[in-house]
This record gives sequence, structure tokens and C-alpha cells, in this order.
Amino acid sequence: MQTVQQNKAHWSLRDVIFLAIIAIFFGIIYQVWGYMYYALAATPLKPFANDLTLGVWIMAGPMAGVLLKKVGASFLGELLAATVEMLLFSSWGASTLLSGSIQGLGSELGFTATGYKNWDKLGIALSVVTSTIVTFAWDLFSNGYLHYQPMMIIGLFLIRLVSIGFFAGILVYWIKQLLDRTGLIK
Amino acid sequence: MTLNPSVMLIIILEIGLPMAFTQSLAGNLAVCFIAFCYLMVNRASLKTISFVMLISLPLAFGTGWSFIAFGTGDVWHQAFLQVSRLFAYIFLGMTLTLTTQVRDILLSFINHLHLSPTFAYGLFAAFNLLPRIQRQVKTIRYSANLRGITYHLWQPQLYFKAILSALQWSDDLAQGMASHGFSEGADRTITYHDNLPKWQWGLAIILIASYLILSLLT
Amino acid sequence: MTTLTVSDFSFSYNNPEQPELAHINWTPTPGSFNLLIGPSGSGKSTLLKAMAGLLPHFGGQILTGEIRLDDYIVDTVMPFERAKRIAMLFQNPNRQFAMPTPAEQITFALENIQLPASEITDRVTTSLEALNITGLANQKIITLSGGEKQKVALATVLALGSDYILLDEPFANVDPAARLELLQLLKQLQVQHQKTIILADHDLSGYTNLVDAIYQINPENHQLSQTDASVLIADAVGPHTFKTKAYQTLSPLKLIQVGLSVEKRTLLKPSDLQLPKAQLGLLSGANGMGKSTLFAAISHQTDYTGTIMWDAQDSQKFKIKQWAQRIGLIFQDAIDQFVDLTVAEELALSKKHTLLPDYWTEARIQSALSQLNLADFKNANLYQLSGGQQKKVQVLSMLMMGQPIFLLDEPLAGLDHVSVQAMLTLIKQTLTDNGLSALMISHQRNGLDDFIDYEWHLSNQEITQEVPE
Repeated sequence: MQTVQQNKAHWSLRDVIFLAIIAIFFGIIYQVWGYMYYALAATPLKPFANDLTLGVWIMAGPMAGVLLKKVGASFLGELLAATVEMLLFSSWGASTLLSGSIQGLGSELGFTATGYKNWDKLGIALSVVTSTIVTFAWDLFSNGYLHYQPMMIIGLFLIRLVSIGFFAGILVYWIKQLLDRTGLIK
Repeated sequence: MTLNPSVMLIIILEIGLPMAFTQSLAGNLAVCFIAFCYLMVNRASLKTISFVMLISLPLAFGTGWSFIAFGTGDVWHQAFLQVSRLFAYIFLGMTLTLTTQVRDILLSFINHLHLSPTFAYGLFAAFNLLPRIQRQVKTIRYSANLRGITYHLWQPQLYFKAILSALQWSDDLAQGMASHGFSEGADRTITYHDNLPKWQWGLAIILIASYLILSLLT
Repeated sequence: MTTLTVSDFSFSYNNPEQPELAHINWTPTPGSFNLLIGPSGSGKSTLLKAMAGLLPHFGGQILTGEIRLDDYIVDTVMPFERAKRIAMLFQNPNRQFAMPTPAEQITFALENIQLPASEITDRVTTSLEALNITGLANQKIITLSGGEKQKVALATVLALGSDYILLDEPFANVDPAARLELLQLLKQLQVQHQKTIILADHDLSGYTNLVDAIYQINPENHQLSQTDASVLIADAVGPHTFKTKAYQTLSPLKLIQVGLSVEKRTLLKPSDLQLPKAQLGLLSGANGMGKSTLFAAISHQTDYTGTIMWDAQDSQKFKIKQWAQRIGLIFQDAIDQFVDLTVAEELALSKKHTLLPDYWTEARIQSALSQLNLADFKNANLYQLSGGQQKKVQVLSMLMMGQPIFLLDEPLAGLDHVSVQAMLTLIKQTLTDNGLSALMISHQRNGLDDFIDYEWHLSNQEITQEVPE
């Protein structure tokens, strides 16, 4: 009979299902946010609506990182969330998958910067910074932000930093603290 | 003529990525047009397409208006460009989501894009829980109401309880699948055979190349 | 023939000081039908999962001993090799399927064990036929009844060809007729296909002349011992009856022609019902009959037909948040109910929002805690408590909210006799002191005589009220 080779670093079936279920949960919770976004997005304030709510879409990445503490967890967590989003909730398809990869890359880089040693405040904080920069750079092109007035670009960047800082930073950290206190996450 | 989901994904990504950087109105419109024709040929529901169009109209409106209000240079051109890009992305997305099933997409990716079965079946198993996950979100919010409080989206509790459920459920599901013999990284018999004739890759290359040439020229 | 041997096996999920299993020795006779009994929380489920090779891969640690499948340590065998020899049916049938339909699920399992593609279709067909569920082959599993789901699980196990079939409380959501049918099917698998069956159940009826051996786990020392058939409940004995009391005053909650169904199956025909005040009722009925669904309907967690009234008002006029201040639903799963992290925090929250601030004084809360034997656990982490302790905190935190109507879904599950008495005393006291109503689902009927005032029995889509005129 063939026996199991133990390999702790790889992605287990349970990890994949865990992240996928979290992504679905978040997807359902996001739908509530979707309405708020929608109300703002029909006006010229749409780019502000984008940046104000962006932190919410990005949460899954750092959350996956601090939960699984693995190389690639943030990237895959965000990509899975985007896949779920594409397959279950929206018809944006292509752009969801593309922006999901960019967002995942952004949040992953923060943890990379700590050498994958810090999954706490420092890692999360760096992840906030890198995901703000990376996603903003992407939107300069893909959403045409480059063609806005310079003051507006700076304003959008700051709003995005605040949004990502709160949702993908502080809120993720609060959730992590609650989870740590239960002792259920190893 | 239905393209294999793997081919569709490659087309979508290879056109979608450069589309973020190009400044071609003609390119965007061509994508919309060809995608629409593909949807029609595959009898995608006109009702769904119209509905998607309808709900994205306000977004398109907001996008266009924001460039007119806050843009620099030729603001009208920029507004049209960005609005057309928004619709191009939506049409591109619909070519996959409105013509295929989640199962066929994932199984096709296993067969043709080397997606690991652990990811494909893990995702698929989680998707099957969707109705229960929806109900669980309701239960979590209700449990707060029973105690005289409301969970707000900017507070950690709702997410925290959701993650605890995800922890329990992923454990149960992974144990169920292991008990039915699913082994990570081991070979499996493949009974799902989908058609992917070579010409589809050829067509993908032609479409991507045409898009790139068109958007560089215009 | 394969043999599964448990030798000196001790196991713990969290705390090695309090093992779930202690020094278990067991070699089930190949081809026999074994019943595993013991109260909830005694470790039945842990033992079955360990024998199925799922532990410690899915948590916990082995303290002593080992479990061998022939010459191999069972948890090191690759799942696809293991599944051909041992398979498991889980308590919650909803979370054991990866695929949406029975045919796809069985195909998935057969692909896993690398059965040649040419044989798969035939094997799917024969295993569905063997369980008489060919008609369900392409239906969505999520729409099937509890009994049908377990048949699909059994068909999968049969297709895999596993010698050992382990079943962990498989009838939790299965109605009695389907339970008997499943038991007959299992017997058939044992006799005709020489399967070894190991089944954990808390309901001891229906097993006479069916099982070859009965084992029990002692909840005190977590050891396994064999016992004789005298523990089984003879099928002829009717259920224990209560000395019921007449309704005194009626509560504001009134159900008018309320009907229930799930997935086109009728659970309750249109019925008129009204709860009495200050009395504790038992809602009885077999598994899968719709007791929890009735609670879900009353608390507006699921759809129903007919009208639910609150005094003269349609309950649908209330927002869910307002309705939650009238109907207090106590969930089957304690963890779903918790909103905080420690016992003290959980109770403090209830004290802050209680509808009975004058009643739930600090002194009363203290005495309730002592009554429930929780006084030493005030600062304990809710998620580290035992199942029974979680249940007690859950019920107390909800009683403290003081909704006029309480619906308690299995509040006694996993509690020992002393705790059951303490819990019911507290519930009863709260009801009578404040004139509240409560309806309770409980599969356990023993030890309830001093507390139950009336009984509603749900069967054949009707509720019969056992109450003196």
C-alpha cells in the first residue's frame, strides 16, 4: 500500500477549501457593500467610491496570509476570492481575475518584505503599503487614473491608503486577534 | 461554435491584460462586438445580457462623467475610451460566465492548464456549500440580534464568526473527501474528456494578435 | 482479508491531560456488525475518525499506541488505498459530498481510487441499484432528504468496495422509516458482502437481533469495553409518557394555518397552534420530521405558509431585530450562538441587553452559574470549554435575555444527568418567575418528568397536543 509523504509546506485540500469558503463568505458579505458602492458609482465621484471601498475587496488577501502563514497564501487567498467572485457573484469575469491577481500580488509583497517571518502588525502594515502602491499603479493605467488632474490623483491615493489601511489592515488585525484568543487556529 | 473554457481563459487574460494599457477606442469596441457575436452564436440569454448592461449603465455613466469633470487633456476622448473599456471587460467576462458551467471550467483547467485537482475539487466542493454559507451568514447576524446587538460591516465579529464556520466546514468537507479516497498529489482516473481541437488555440492566437495590432495602430 | 487493529490507543485533541480516548484495544471481528455506544462527548466520533485514518492528520495527537490496517499504520496510508478498505459515513451528511449529484459523487470517488474509466459507469450504476436509488442519480444532493443523503453516502462506500464501514451517528437527520431501511441495508451489506460494520448511535432502539457485538466508551475514563444486549431498547416498549398539565394562560404567539415544507416535501400540514405561558413544553417527534424547521419558521429564519400572529398583529410586520426580542431561539449548535469570547463577556453582554434587568441581578447570575457548576469557569475561553459546558453557557446567556418565548433546540444534548436536572430547574424557574413560554426539542425523555408540562408530538405532518382537557 502506498503511504503518505508528509509535506507541511504544500497546499492541503483543507487549506484550499478553507480559503474558498472564506472567499464565499466574504463574497456574500461584500454584496452588502456592493449596494453602497453602487449608489456612489453612478456619479462623477465613482473613482472615489472605487478607492473608498477597495480595502473591503482586498481583505481576503492579508486575511489568508495571517490565517495560513504560508508563502503565497495572500496571493492565492485573493486570487481564490476573485475566482469565487467571478464564478458566483459577478459577470465582470476577466477584470475581476486580473485585478484579483494584482491585489493578491500587492498584499503578498508586504509579507515577502518581512521574509515571511512576521504575520502580525508589521507584516499586515507592510502589506497595506504594498497593496496600496501596487493596486494604484495598476489603476493608473487600467482605470485611466493617469488622465485625472494631479491633485485628484493624490487625493485618490490617500483615500485608497486609508481604505486599505482600515479594512485590510486594522480590521484584519482585529479579526486575527479574536481568532487568536479562541485558540482554534494553530 | 463553443470554445473550450481553457482557450477562453487564455483569450480573456491575454486581451484583458494589454487592454488595461492600450488607448484604443477601436480595439475596445471590436472586443465588445466580437464578444457579443460569440454570445449570440452560443445562444446566451439576451435577457441576462441586457440585465448586465442595464446595471452597468450607471457605472459607465459615473466613469465617463468623472473624466469629464476631473480629467486632463481631451476629456471627452478619455471618457469614451474608459467607458468603452469598461464594457469591453464586461463582455469579455460574459463570454466565459454566460456560456459555460463552473464544473466544466474547472475540469477543463485540470485537463488543459495543469490546474491541480486539489484546487479544482476543493473549490468545487466549497461552491456546492454556497446555499448553506448564505444561510450561515443569516444565522450569524441573527445570533447577534437575539442578544440585542447588530453586527456592522466595519466590526470584526461578523468576519470572525464566518471564519470560525469556514474552519469547521473545511475540516468536515476535507475529511469527507479523504474518506472517499481523494489523495492530494496522487494520480486519478480522468473520465471527463472535453474537446479541444488544435484550431482553437490557433484561433486564440489570431484573436489576440489581431487585437494587439488593432490597438497599436489606432 | 483486511484487518483493522486498535492497540493501546490514546488520543487527545487539545489537552493531553484530558484525553478523548484512553488505552483502547479493539480488533473488530471481520464481517461483524458492531454497535458503539456512549453519551455525546465520550469520544465515539474521535475513535471512528482515528480508525478511518483521518486523525491526527485532521487535528489532535496520538498519546499512546497505534491503529493498524494490516501491516500499516492506518493514518499513513494514502487515502485512495485506504478508501478501498475503510470508509466512513459522517454525522452531518451535508458536508461529506464534494460533488452536486449522486452519480458525480460516486464517479469522483471511483476516479480517486483510480478505477479504469471503462469500469466506472457500470460500478456507479450497480451501486445505485443496490441501494434502490437509481432514480436519484442526477438529482442535486442538496435537495435530498437526510435518509436519501446517507443512502448516497452508502452507495459511494459500496462502490469503493471498502471492507470496513464506519458510521458516526448517521441517523441524526434521518426519519425513523428511513433509519430502519438503512439498518436493513447495512445488515444486507454485512451478510451478503462480508462487510464489517461499526456504527455509533445514541438511540439504542432497533438493534435487537441486528448487531453481533456492542461496545461502549465510558465517559469518565474514556476506555472501551464490550457490553451485552441488555442495554438495547426492546422495540416493543413504547415511549415514556409525561404527566401533563392543562394550559393556564396563553402566550401572545399564535400560529394560524401554518404549514411547512422543504424542497417540495411537506413537513407540516396547515395547523393552528398557540403556546401557553409560564410552562415548559416538549416538542417531540422522530429525526427529520421538521421540528427544527418549525422553530426556524417561528423565528422567521425560514419560509412558511399561513400566518404567525403576535397578539393581533401579523408577525411579518416586525423587523427581524424586533422579532428577535420576542422569540429567543436557542440553536442546536452552541458555537453558532456565541457572540463573545469568554464566559464572563458572554454573560455581561446579556446582562447589558436583557429584557428583564430587574430579575437578572448580579447575585442571581452568580447563583445560576453555581447551579450549573460553571462558577470556576467565569474567565474561561468559550471555545476551549467542553461541549456540555458550552451548552450550559449558551442556554444561560439566552435565558438572561428574557424573550417572552423561548424555543430550545436540543439544549440537553451532551449533558450528564446532574447537568440536565440543573439546567431544567433553571429554565423552569426563569419561566415561572417571569411568565415566559418555552418549547423544547429533546431526543432524551428520561429524567424530564418533574419539568415537562405538556407535549407536542410532530409526526405524519401533524402536531398532536398531549395535554389534559
